[in-house]
Amino acid sequence: MTSATIVYVVDDDDAVRASIDRLLRSVGHEVAGFSAPQAFLAAPRHARPSCLVLDVRLPFMSGLEFQRELALLQIDIPIVFITGHGDVPMSVAAMKAGAVEFLMKPFRDQDLIDAVHRGIQLDRQRAEAKQALDEISTRHASLTAREREVMSAVVSGLMNKQIAALLDISEVTVKVHRAQVMRKMGVTTLPELVRQADRLGLPTPKA
Amino acid sequence: MLAVGIAALLGCATLAAMPFAGVRLEGTEPVLPAYAAGLAVVEIMTGVLLLATLTLSRHRAVTVVAAGYLFSGLLAIPWAISFPGVFPALGLDVDVQSTATLAAVRRLGFASSLLAYAALRLADGPESGRGQSKGSLLACVFAVAAAAVAVSVLALSGVGKLPRFMANTREVAPLWSYVPAAAMTLYVLTAGMLLAARRSVLDLWVTVVVFTLAMELFLLSYVAGGTRLTIGWWTGRVLGLVSASMVLTVLVSQTAILYARLADTTARDRQDREARLTVMEALSASIAHEINQPLSSMVTNAYAALRWLGKPEPHVPEATAALQDIVGDGHRAGRIVEETRSIFRKTGGERELLDLPAVLEEALDRLRFDVARAGVRLAVEPFRGPVIVSGNRIQLEQVVCNLVTNALEALRGIVGRERLVTIRCRREGNWAVISFADNGPGVAQPQASRIFDPFFSTKSNGMGMGLMVCRTVIEAHGGQLWLEPDAGAGATFSLRLPALDQGRDGGRE
Repeated sequence: MTSATIVYVVDDDDAVRASIDRLLRSVGHEVAGFSAPQAFLAAPRHARPSCLVLDVRLPFMSGLEFQRELALLQIDIPIVFITGHGDVPMSVAAMKAGAVEFLMKPFRDQDLIDAVHRGIQLDRQRAEAKQALDEISTRHASLTAREREVMSAVVSGLMNKQIAALLDISEVTVKVHRAQVMRKMGVTTLPELVRQADRLGLPTPKA
Repeated sequence: MLAVGIAALLGCATLAAMPFAGVRLEGTEPVLPAYAAGLAVVEIMTGVLLLATLTLSRHRAVTVVAAGYLFSGLLAIPWAISFPGVFPALGLDVDVQSTATLAAVRRLGFASSLLAYAALRLADGPESGRGQSKGSLLACVFAVAAAAVAVSVLALSGVGKLPRFMANTREVAPLWSYVPAAAMTLYVLTAGMLLAARRSVLDLWVTVVVFTLAMELFLLSYVAGGTRLTIGWWTGRVLGLVSASMVLTVLVSQTAILYARLADTTARDRQDREARLTVMEALSASIAHEINQPLSSMVTNAYAALRWLGKPEPHVPEATAALQDIVGDGHRAGRIVEETRSIFRKTGGERELLDLPAVLEEALDRLRFDVARAGVRLAVEPFRGPVIVSGNRIQLEQVVCNLVTNALEALRGIVGRERLVTIRCRREGNWAVISFADNGPGVAQPQASRIFDPFFSTKSNGMGMGLMVCRTVIEAHGGQLWLEPDAGAGATFSLRLPALDQGRDGGRE
């Protein structure tokens, strides 16, 4: 059912890694296991919703350190921590740094499966949001220089007459440009255009 | 050295004062209260300090000399108050004989206490009895205070019935001459006994005190002819005060040094204990982690197997693989447990030839303060002669410490009778046997069978590892540790270790 997703498991204990692999496959996940963070970084990553199951106690680098390193590398992946000897401060630190869940070994199967599902859900939402933004950026890039000026003026709340005066063009020309902007950006109403401008970071009256 | 120097110095002062001893110093009465107050404070403090040291030291002789100091210090007060011409403003019309009676009782009383001290020192061994309880010390203080008050009241109220010591307010009557003679006799006897018995620093200083007291008395009663307020009389008084202050100084510094050492030892003990604890914690954390890993994958594999089998079309090969992994992890966990055991066994491997009595003594020495603090009497019946065993000194000492500490804790609730721990050592053929008996509540039957189990504890704050570790250590040394089944009241733990020498019929090789 979820073959378009993948779960990465990083744990230095082969037996633990194999058991998690077997459990997650039983509910239909594709799983890729790594014995060390370096191996995970070196492997090619798939552009599909994913989640990382990470052991806290690893040789050379703790799971929490690896979480920080991923943030530095701007690798945005939801993390489910598993640990044999976690304490409260450790789990608080992990959760504050954006972990999805912090599980104590041995954990209940449903707890891990739920956490992984939540992680993948989160990653999917992030990917969708990113994709949408990419599309808007592409559309915005296809506008001419004049159309971009008109769009900025429109979303900042100016009337056609004011825009004509501002850009020193006729009001009819403004209307033509404005229709072009709406068509190219793929919207039909002004509020939709304002929302897109907001996501692109253009100045809008709301901001 | 210092003591001899001071004695010599005081002797010189006496000689220097002799030519002028008879010169009267008029109007020096007002100085007398200051002298008496100083004397009283110094003597009372000396007495109290000596009593305080008794909670740690074990000499009943010290009790006597402390009581003497207290008595003498307390009597200095009525003596000064009743001294003729000192407190005219108070309008006290005291009989001249009262002052002299007080002086006589005070001098002879203190001299007797010194003599009793010396006699006890001669009679007792270097360490006899045990630390006195706070109750008996308080009782001693009260008895001395009561005696001092009684003597004062008798002397001050018994006008007309007192012996005629004084001819007038200054000169003594012929009867007085018996007092210094008696005191001198006591001093000489004391000095002789102390020189024979001399064992401790205190003995030495008491000897100095006796010497200066004799000097004082010599000046007061013979050189100054017993006449009060002369140069000889005052010199004697000042000498007495100086020597008393010196004993106090020595006592205070000795006590301070003792406390510093005690604090140092306690701190080191605590460090040792904490270090041991940290090692234990680290060890148990790593063992826990090692066992948790296979445990965790076993649980996860079991869940996975259930899920693969629970599908509408059960997937047997996956479930089989999961079960095989569970078997493998089970064996892995078993190996970890076995390895942990062998680690413990290995640390027991650093063996050397040890003298078991010395090991026992060393361990008991480390517990001395704990035993004293617990108010427990420790009776040891030692081995006769050396017993050689092969073992790890630290581990064996720890076993002794553990067993004695357990006994001390068992006795904590005992009130109203003596808390006693008895350690008996004996040879049984090639075995060296040590038993640790306490007279506490004992071990009830249901607990007796489980008492060596790990994590079993009857104590609210115990880990339950102590006795298990003890038994493991002793068994690793080829011996046994057990709880005596019918030892009467209290609990008795016994251990036996193989001795390497041949015991009584030894020396075959």
